[in-house]
Amino acid sequence: MGEEDYCHTNGTTMQLNLMKRQKLILWCAAALAGACLFGSGLTPVQAQPTEKADSAVSSTNSAAAKAKAPDKKPAAIKHQLTGAELYSMHCNRCHPERYPTERTAAQWKTIMLHMQVRANIPVEQSKLILQYLQDNSGR
Amino acid sequence: MNTRRWTFGLMAAICALGIGLPPRVAAQVSLQDFDALKETVQKLAEQVQNLQQTNVVREQVHEQDVKKIQQLEEKLAETQQIATNAEQKSIEAAQAQAQPQSRQPIDEATVNHNFQILGDAEFQYVKAAGQHGAFSLADFAPIFLYRGGENILFEAGFDTTIANNAPAGGGYTTTFNLSFAQLDYVMNNYVTLCAGELVLPLGTYTERGAGWLNKIPDNPLAVDALIPGTGVGAELRGAVPVGDAGKFLNYSLYAVNGPGSSDGSGNAGMLDLGGNVGVRSDGAMANLHGNPSGGARLSVFMPFKPHYDLELGVSGQAGEWDDAGNHLYTAGVFDAALHMGPSFEAKGEYIMTRFGSDDLGKVGQQGWFVQAGYKLAGLNLELPVINNLELVGRFDSLHNAYDSGNNTFDFSTKRYTAGFVYYFTSTLLLEGDYEYFHSNDPSQLSQFILQLSYGF
Repeated sequence: MGEEDYCHTNGTTMQLNLMKRQKLILWCAAALAGACLFGSGLTPVQAQPTEKADSAVSSTNSAAAKAKAPDKKPAAIKHQLTGAELYSMHCNRCHPERYPTERTAAQWKTIMLHMQVRANIPVEQSKLILQYLQDNSGR
Repeated sequence: MNTRRWTFGLMAAICALGIGLPPRVAAQVSLQDFDALKETVQKLAEQVQNLQQTNVVREQVHEQDVKKIQQLEEKLAETQQIATNAEQKSIEAAQAQAQPQSRQPIDEATVNHNFQILGDAEFQYVKAAGQHGAFSLADFAPIFLYRGGENILFEAGFDTTIANNAPAGGGYTTTFNLSFAQLDYVMNNYVTLCAGELVLPLGTYTERGAGWLNKIPDNPLAVDALIPGTGVGAELRGAVPVGDAGKFLNYSLYAVNGPGSSDGSGNAGMLDLGGNVGVRSDGAMANLHGNPSGGARLSVFMPFKPHYDLELGVSGQAGEWDDAGNHLYTAGVFDAALHMGPSFEAKGEYIMTRFGSDDLGKVGQQGWFVQAGYKLAGLNLELPVINNLELVGRFDSLHNAYDSGNNTFDFSTKRYTAGFVYYFTSTLLLEGDYEYFHSNDPSQLSQFILQLSYGF
């Protein structure tokens, strides 16, 4: 097989691969759209009483010195989330959670504005998290 | 005998005395005297009753007087206390006037302007296959935040690193890069305007996974090679809650200068993802090509329980890249992140790009990565060292291919990474991993990396 034939064969194979990838991408896009629709319309399971906000927070910084996994399964979300719960939920998406006492109230206000923009946190949820952090902030 | 005599004698004397005493004399009182006496007694009884009534009234008056006296005494005591306090305050005021006024603590929550420094620092040791091990990185990456009021934030990130001048020369060079600099204005609950050098929302790794935030010391191959991390332009972004269980939709729309060409040509090798900041080397203020690039991201975040959530997103960017504006660069990214409890997380991205070129025709690139981490604290072993460990793993790949008609190229790299994170604290991390490369690119060497990271 000459070099030209090899290149042609190889090019054809690559085109087939690209077509497969395009199909894969289309399927992924369809799956994502379905997930978005599913996620938008889905009501979360409301089975168990919720655990206290404090317990949710106490399980934070889980990899630090006071790391400890929750003894029992977290309860399903069925009420309007508190600032402590939202704090626990959002911060842990990207980094270990910081203790509220690490910053002052004014500092948390600035940091939460930064996080609200960077992580696209809804403003209402951001305000609840900020309230929680300021209520427990270092003075 | 004598007793009996005395007894008889005493009885005899009593009998004689009883016989000798005169009988009782009956009194003689007339009816008139009796009536007069009765009337006198009645008058006396009335007088006594009157006196008793008068006495009761006087006692009541006396009790009222006693109460009034007590009240007056209490008022007097209060007045004396007030006078004492006033005197004390007067003394304190006089002392305060004599001394300099002490500064009152401000209410932190109401401070309207604030400056903050966040960021991270890393220090690395790398041992690559066939090479000497080296302490290879000292990176300091502060982020400056300035908040003006409730809705305005300016943020800028810098990256300071050093590198040897060898083998070209001696000494070392310090580089100080502006990673991003953007002004954020929260217009309302659903729209935030950002402008400046933006961190682009192509996937989530660049925005939320870089530096110490990532649990593996280096970036996925495809993120570094295929998509731009930042771009100069403007962006609208926000989040729309769905229900009150924490679920929400995310969106980002942006326009930036877009990728450029290193030499202005349309040759594939000149694609410059990070350039084109709007100021040319000759000082002219201009985009390198005619039109800006546009991009967007849409995602949904679904929490199911605290620490249990799933985020799915799709993003893309398209625009010219060569100076002549003959070729387009397009990128698409699917991203996903999953948290299953406080101990487990997994995330990944699939990235594909296409761009035209003068010399190689259409170039297609793709890559993806998936990584997961498990904190051993989830095992509940109550062991201090084990509890601070997290095991991490990653698989990523990068694939370049083009077909210019008479020339094809197929370049592929796969990388398998296994490692750990040891948390001294929640922000001081020791990361270590071994990366095994399987590639037809000889420059890709398997390596062992240790990194000390601190986020502040």
